[in-house]
Order: sequence, then C-alpha cells, then structure tokens
Amino acid sequence: MHIDARNLDTDSLIEGDICIIGAGAAGITLALEWIGASRRVILLEAGGFDPDAQMQELYHGASLDRPYYPLQSVALHYFGGTTGHWAGFCSPFDPIDFETRDWVHGSGWPFTRQHLDPFYARAQSVLELGPYDYDPASYELRDPDFKRLAVDESVFYPKMWQFSAPTRMGTTYRDPIVNARDVHLYTYAKVVEMVPNAAATAVEHLRARTLDGKEHRVRARHYVLACGGIHSPRLLLASNSRTPRGLGNDRDLVGRYFMEHFEILGGQVAFATAHPFKMYAYPGRGSKGARAEMALTAELQRKHRILNGTVSFQAGALTGQEQSRFASFSGDAAANVKQQEALAARGAARGAAGAPPPNTTYRLFTRQEQEPNPSSRVVLNSEKDAMGMPRADLHWRFTGLDKRSIRVFYELLGQEFGRAGLGRVQMMEWLTDGSDDTWPNHLSGGWHNMGTTRMHQDAAQGVVDADCKVHGLANLFVAGASVYPTGGAANPTLTLVALALRLSDHLRAAVR
Amino acid sequence: MNDEQLDAAALATTLCDTPAMRRRRFLTLAALGAIGVMWPTTGEAAIPVRMLAAPGLLAVLGSERAVQQLGERYRRLVPAENDATVLVRAILAPSPSILSPDLTAGLAERVRQDFTHGRTVTVHGWILSLTEARQCALYSLHSA
Repeated sequence: MHIDARNLDTDSLIEGDICIIGAGAAGITLALEWIGASRRVILLEAGGFDPDAQMQELYHGASLDRPYYPLQSVALHYFGGTTGHWAGFCSPFDPIDFETRDWVHGSGWPFTRQHLDPFYARAQSVLELGPYDYDPASYELRDPDFKRLAVDESVFYPKMWQFSAPTRMGTTYRDPIVNARDVHLYTYAKVVEMVPNAAATAVEHLRARTLDGKEHRVRARHYVLACGGIHSPRLLLASNSRTPRGLGNDRDLVGRYFMEHFEILGGQVAFATAHPFKMYAYPGRGSKGARAEMALTAELQRKHRILNGTVSFQAGALTGQEQSRFASFSGDAAANVKQQEALAARGAARGAAGAPPPNTTYRLFTRQEQEPNPSSRVVLNSEKDAMGMPRADLHWRFTGLDKRSIRVFYELLGQEFGRAGLGRVQMMEWLTDGSDDTWPNHLSGGWHNMGTTRMHQDAAQGVVDADCKVHGLANLFVAGASVYPTGGAANPTLTLVALALRLSDHLRAAVR
Repeated sequence: MNDEQLDAAALATTLCDTPAMRRRRFLTLAALGAIGVMWPTTGEAAIPVRMLAAPGLLAVLGSERAVQQLGERYRRLVPAENDATVLVRAILAPSPSILSPDLTAGLAERVRQDFTHGRTVTVHGWILSLTEARQCALYSLHSA
C-alpha cells in the first residue's frame, strides 16, 4: 500500500507493529520479508519514487578534513535509496573481517562469518545474483578462459565478486511493496526526530514532516532506523529534545568510526607474458558476470599486521594523470543516476564480454578497508535544513595503519609476482616512502558510508548490540552499513542486505 | 617534462610493446661489445661480465633505457655498490659456482630465490630482486 504523506491532514497519526525509517537497500529488504506476515509494517521514505533536487538538498553538508563526494549526492534520498546509482559489486566479507585483530583498533564483530552465511545465501536473490558460491574453482570449471594467476595461494588468492545487474531496488521492488496489503509505504514522510519516553528507555513516537510544512506522528512497537551511514547517526544525534546528547548516544559513540573504502591506483604490473585475463577483467556495468580480485590471505594479514584489501587489474600503464572521483562526481544526484542508468543499459545491451585482448601491462587498483578511527565521524552542524533538522558534516580521518597496509600489500605482491616469474610490480611514488603518511590527490572512495552506529555487545564500545538493537532503548534497531564494526575488503551492499534479513528474523521472534 | 615525467612516459610507451618486440630489444644486448671482460674464477670457466649485466628484467620491461635508469638509481641508492667490481662480486656471491653450469639459468634462479627469501629492493617504485637490481646497475655502468 502506498500513501503520499503530503496528502494526509497534518498531525495525522500513523500506527503499526514495525516502523522502518528509510526505504533504501536495508529498509526495502526488511519490508519485503514482512509481506504476508499479517503484521502492520510502516515503511517511511522521505523522498518520492524519483530523484528530487529538493529532497537531495536536505542531505547537503560539508566534508571538513579532506575532499570527499558531495554529501548532497553521495547517498540518494528517494524510494530505493542509493541502489539508484550503485555499481552492483557483490562479495561476502572474509572470515578475518569478523575477528578481533589485535593490530586493528576496534575490530571484531559479535559473530562469525559462518553465522552470517545463511543470510548471505538469502541475500543473493534479493540482489538478483547467482547462487551463493564465491569459490574461484566453480568459475574456472564453467569457463575455460577463466584461469587464475599461478601465485602461491598461501600468500595471495583470487577473491570472487559477482555483479548484480545492478538491482535498482526502487524499480524492482516498487510493485511488490505498493501492492502488499500489510506494508504501508509513506513517501514524502521525512522523520526529523525520534522521541523517547520520559525515561528514555524506548522510542515513543516519531515526528515526520513534509516539505510543505505538515507534520505527522508515527507510533510502532518496534522501530528500525535504515537511513545509511551519514543520516542514521544524524537522526539519532538530532533526536535531542528529551535527551540532549541524542538518542543512543550516552557514550558519545553515535557518528564516530565513519569508514569508507580507500579506492585508489597504487601501481602497475609488467607481466613477462600476456595472460588470458578474463578471470580478473571487469565484465562491465549492467552485464552481470563475475571476476576475481587479488586478495592477501588472512595468515599474511596477521603476519604483517595489516588491514584487509585487494587489487584489481586495469589494462594499460599508468599515465601520470590519475584523478580522484571526488572531483568528478557530480553534486547533482539526478544527473548521476541518469549516467549510471545509461552505463548499465549499454552494458546489458552489450551482453557478456568475451575474453579481453591479452595485455602485459596493468594498472593496480586497490580497495582496502579503513582502520576504525573514533575521530573519523559524522557531526551535526548548526545550520538547519528546510525541514528544520540540523545538517550533518563529515570529518573523514585516517590512521597510520591505513597507508602502511597498502604499502606492505604492494611489497608482498611485488615479491610474489617476482617469485612466481609472472612479472614485476611498480608502486606509485605516493607509496614508496615508508615515513610519509600523506595521501595523493587521486584518492577516491567507494561511496561506502559505514561504521557510524557500530555494533558491539558492550555499550561502552558500540551503539547497537549483536542484534542491532540500540543500547539502552528497548525498541529501536538499526539496519545498514552504519552498524559495521569494520569495513572489510568487499563492497558493503551484500553484507547489509544479509544483516537486514538477519534483523528481520530477529524481529519476527520479538513481534510474536 | 622533468625526469620523473620522462621516466613515466618512456615506461608507459614501452610497456605497451608486445613480448616479441621486447625480445628483440633484449637481443641488442649482444652488442655490448665494450663489455668484453671476463671475470676470472678458480677452477671454472671465466664468466663473461656482459652476461651478468644482462638482466632478465629487460625482457619484462622491454626498455633498455628503463633498465639503465633503474641501474643508475640503484647506484645512487647504494653508493657503496657504485663500482663494477663490487657489483660483480655481489652478484656472484657467495661463489660463482652457484651459478653453474648454465649462467643464465643460474642467474634466473638466483633472482627467483631473492624474491622467495625477501632479498628485494625498491628502485623507483619497482620491487626488484637484489640480484637483478645489481645487474641493472652493472648494465648502467657499461652503457654510460
């Protein structure tokens, strides 16, 4: 069922069993699970069904420490959320990502990868992927051109990615949601505050506003905040009329530990001979398919005490003209969405790529997690948006381990490629000086906003517990990548969908 | 363009060559006639120094100029090895006999062992075997 909140009388009361705030990947995944469950599920989306400049403007804020994507366009503010421009990269986090690593501050999830595997398997179909099989041997069996590089796999191994079409959840799941009797989707209903009871032990109601000045109250037995890595903490911090520090923020953790993925060219490799590189070639936006990235084993990460990351291979040599995507990504969200749709359509029309032409020189592109850093954070600024809600600014900050990890990775890669007789690796200049902690201008990120309502069983170390329930609040949960204690080497979407499925199962037991 | 940009441009061009083109360049090393020096050994055939100065790396990078520049950089990095005799001794250490019976294969194996045991050096960002870096250095001395 769909209701445009702008058409309601002001001060309407909306009630349900569960209220999901935000209809992005996590919110829609949750809502889909409750279709036919005979519960009244409220799904609140601030935007409509298409990108809207006025709604995106509500996301405007500043990145204060270093260049980043424009905050008004890095996340999307309409039904479907940021799946409106994502690229479809899917891979599960590695087992080591869930471990407490004594060289990585703040590492450790409250469960293992194995615990999450059944939810990963279910997440595959939500994102319209193939079976939950990321074993490179399976791909080599299916395609004779898929051949892995002959490296020592106790050092490096091919980590597999599957590519979603990409699923635009706002398109794919609009009809199932709108046609569901028990899911009540309210568009243009922006939650500006979560109001707790007098004792601040539970959320009592939500205040939801429309741009034309109406305000509604929303009440549910359980609430799920699913507004993403910048705007979930923003809403918690802004919910301060009864709790001055915001909701769930007794320990000043909300908004801290913002993490991205470092995505950056780090070097190039000259192979001794041309390699049939189909296994490592990007199949192209919209074409689906799979590819491998070169990953360092957990054993070597432990031995060298570095973070988790991968390199992928881009045909051709470095040019010296490398540029950051931060500068080229538009602040116009609708334009970005159109561009991504065009890329996906072209890729789908092209179809599955054949084996790429053999090349001997490849640029090396790193994606690496960031060490959790409490100083890297989302904060409120004094300016309010058109809904009267304080805007969010970003302090994106790094630690010494971040760059050292990339450097050591390349040193090990160069050593292994040399040992295996494959070729020689050259690090870019920004990596060669071990005492230099600065970052080059061509640093980019993955559009991955993670960690700002992190998960930990101990309320002194996390905003949510192992069930993603906000510490100290009986009926408030968080869904999305904001709960990640660490960022892993893989893109976050598959994992956040898996976690949303897990949360849904947990809520089923709670609502019974 | 400064040296760094020239390096990058040279490498960017030559690294796009085909393996066949690289092999042809490698063979031009035979024209290192000036290095007609033999390194005497005890009880074994003397080693032609020009073969020590022919790094297999040349076949990978496909650029004599790149190899020469790497050699020059290595000699600046390790001033104590800025001398042909020192370099030859270092390449052949601990004994020339470990490169027998096939010098070329022996050097290739030495390079592989360097990588296996972490005997590497980073020169202009290139992660090289210590042996091949010294070979580049020797090459640069005799190509100057």
